Amino acid sequence: MSVASPLGTVGILIRYWVKGRFTKATILGLIIGETFSVIFILFGSSTYLSFSNRVGLTTGLSEVAGSLVLALYLVGLIQSGFNGGGLPVSSSDVDYVFTSPVPPREVFAAKVLLNSLTTVLFGFPPIIVLYLRFSAYYHTPMTAAILAGLVTLVFLVIGLLLAADITLSLGRGIGERKKLWRNLFIVLVLVLSLLPITLLIPGIPVEIADVTRILPNGLAAIVSVGLVSGTPGGLDYLVDLLLLFAWLGGFLVLGVRMARGHFYELLEVSTPGGEKFDHPNQTSRLDPRGKSIWSIVRLKEKILISRTREARALFINAMFLSGFLVIYALSGSFQSSPTSFLFILFIIGSFGSGTASRWIEKERLWILKSSPVSMRRYVKEVYRARVAPLLFYLVPVTVAVGVPLVLGQLSSPSLLLGVVLALPGALEIAGITMAGGMWFASRYGQSSADDILSSQAQELADIRRFLFQTIINLIMVSPIILLVLVSEALAAIMGPATLPILAVALVLISIAFTGMSINVLLNRAGDAITRREDL
Amino acid sequence: MSCSSVFQKGSTNMVEISIENLTKHYGTLVALDDVSLKIASGEVFGLLGPNGAGKSTLLKTLVGILRPTTGTIRIGAIDIVADPEKAKKMIGYLPENPSLYTGLTTLEFLQFVGKIRGVPDDLLDREISELLKSFGLEEKRNSLVGTLSKGMKQKVALIATSLHNPQLLVLDEPLTALDPKTRVSVKDWIGGQTARGVTTILSTHDLDVAQTHAGRIAIIDHGKIVAVGDIESLRHMANTTSDARLEDVFLRLTEEKGEDPARR
Repeated sequence: MSVASPLGTVGILIRYWVKGRFTKATILGLIIGETFSVIFILFGSSTYLSFSNRVGLTTGLSEVAGSLVLALYLVGLIQSGFNGGGLPVSSSDVDYVFTSPVPPREVFAAKVLLNSLTTVLFGFPPIIVLYLRFSAYYHTPMTAAILAGLVTLVFLVIGLLLAADITLSLGRGIGERKKLWRNLFIVLVLVLSLLPITLLIPGIPVEIADVTRILPNGLAAIVSVGLVSGTPGGLDYLVDLLLLFAWLGGFLVLGVRMARGHFYELLEVSTPGGEKFDHPNQTSRLDPRGKSIWSIVRLKEKILISRTREARALFINAMFLSGFLVIYALSGSFQSSPTSFLFILFIIGSFGSGTASRWIEKERLWILKSSPVSMRRYVKEVYRARVAPLLFYLVPVTVAVGVPLVLGQLSSPSLLLGVVLALPGALEIAGITMAGGMWFASRYGQSSADDILSSQAQELADIRRFLFQTIINLIMVSPIILLVLVSEALAAIMGPATLPILAVALVLISIAFTGMSINVLLNRAGDAITRREDL
Repeated sequence: MSCSSVFQKGSTNMVEISIENLTKHYGTLVALDDVSLKIASGEVFGLLGPNGAGKSTLLKTLVGILRPTTGTIRIGAIDIVADPEKAKKMIGYLPENPSLYTGLTTLEFLQFVGKIRGVPDDLLDREISELLKSFGLEEKRNSLVGTLSKGMKQKVALIATSLHNPQLLVLDEPLTALDPKTRVSVKDWIGGQTARGVTTILSTHDLDVAQTHAGRIAIIDHGKIVAVGDIESLRHMANTTSDARLEDVFLRLTEEKGEDPARR
């Protein structure tokens, strides 16, 4: 029995969820997030276009790149779907919506509509900016960019429906064998998406590349890239669009059919402290015999990083970062000026603050605060444990970017000084921003329970913290940036003979400054924990 | 679970607690208002009060997690504000909802806590093994804490609280939301600690537990101690009959504030 007409019920649910989701804080967060993503998109797309211009990439290869990027989005959603996260639910949904007489099919429809709405709202501005940048480059009309954006948004909604359908299908015997199915699915999507690469191999039939048009990501990439680049497609595009909408309709019908049954137990509610572990039993790696308190603290932190998959996430991010920077370097975007090196400083350096954002959980502070350990020292040891994997991943990235840069500047010693300062400077900035991130996390970090209990206050605190943290981090790292900026002038004043000594002296000064800054920030982090009263 | 030897180990060094004119403000909110208490060494002291009365704030201030606005707290001869590290070595604290490192195994978590609380290496493994056995958690030593049930997590938290043989135990609602079997285990454990002469402060909503374990009970309301004494003197203060249950005494002593609209 439904409490209202099906459409009425779906409307009520969406209104209730929207009220819970779009608070003032989330709207402010959305604006800030969109601004940052637009800036990044402009940077990224300009880099890509310079790269493709310099290397001579065809639009065909851009379609492959687009198809692959969209395939990664699908892969993420496939994983989420198999983990029961295809239809995200909160505990209040379970308590109030699932126990209501609203038919499951209407709950499904409302969830899908709301998720699509959110995705479209979040995705539209950066996607349109991306395609406008491309259409400006290819001199195609603005309408082409808008159409391409809409096609991509349709694809994003298809992805959401796919994830929801996978979750709904778990009740039909797939559950036990889901890992195999998931991996098969992912491999299939990636292999089909990469098929156009065969165009590079002489003698391979061209038709093989078209197989990628079976998948929604291939279709969306071909139509979108084709529209913004002005590649004539005519009827082909129409067929591709029809196929894309067929995917959309197919997944929707499939989902609605499957949602007729009782599917609630298949959905995963994210609970505080309810992380999923692949192996519930583990051999102890924390043998305390003969070890100091502080080596145990570091070891504990390393174990947590590895078991909560932080290290894996860091590795994947570092891979993306190095890929991007290598493309950036190859695109010739680095001009012969120290200001261009700032880009390395910012991109690599900002990596630090992100990794520190959630290192502490307020709800576990009782363990530390009721023990006799010094909070300042504790924070420093945690920092040591956490900065090691960060540097482990960032050093190769820096070297990968640095070697061609150093080789390219050998004939110009005054610019070489800037490069020599910028490379360790990037790592130093990562170190400082990580310490800054830990300070702010110590001061404002909330527990996951708080996130759920008072999400609006939490989101506002997060936004304030993010802005404040960004400003403080920028102030803290400004001397390193300044050093890189004035390096060319300094080199000119001092003369080429003194350059090696000058370089060593400046690097040492920079390292000493970094050490002091990190020490100050970590002391503040320790003091912030000591003073916290909201426990 | 049987009450094994580790629950009733040899007596510990006893410590008395002195709280004088303690106040704690959160901005304009007065959470504790001029609280003064003396708790004798080896005493089991109950703390009762309605929700939001200031019980948890008092306990957190007592164990050094929060700093008093004014007033002093002494654990034995040590001022918790002046020398928190020394004082904390003597205290075992169990919060109301203990959150543990879910990514560590039970053994790793206890090794970590033991280490930061200064348990010597040669004792740590033995203590952990004995306590795990006593609480029936031997099979879970290599299980990730995140995979344990709520009752098991509470037991792990209790082991962590007592690993360093504290002279003062501060337990904030140790029986909340536990199943009957785990409640019995925890009550046994509290009884074992009491028998060892550990000074224990027990905040609870379970009036039976307070009446059974605590020699004296303080009733706190709106941040003030409204009554302290054994059950007899509390009955007297509440003007109830000599056989009145603690529940009736508690209601009488706290209802004068008239804050519970359900009882109006």
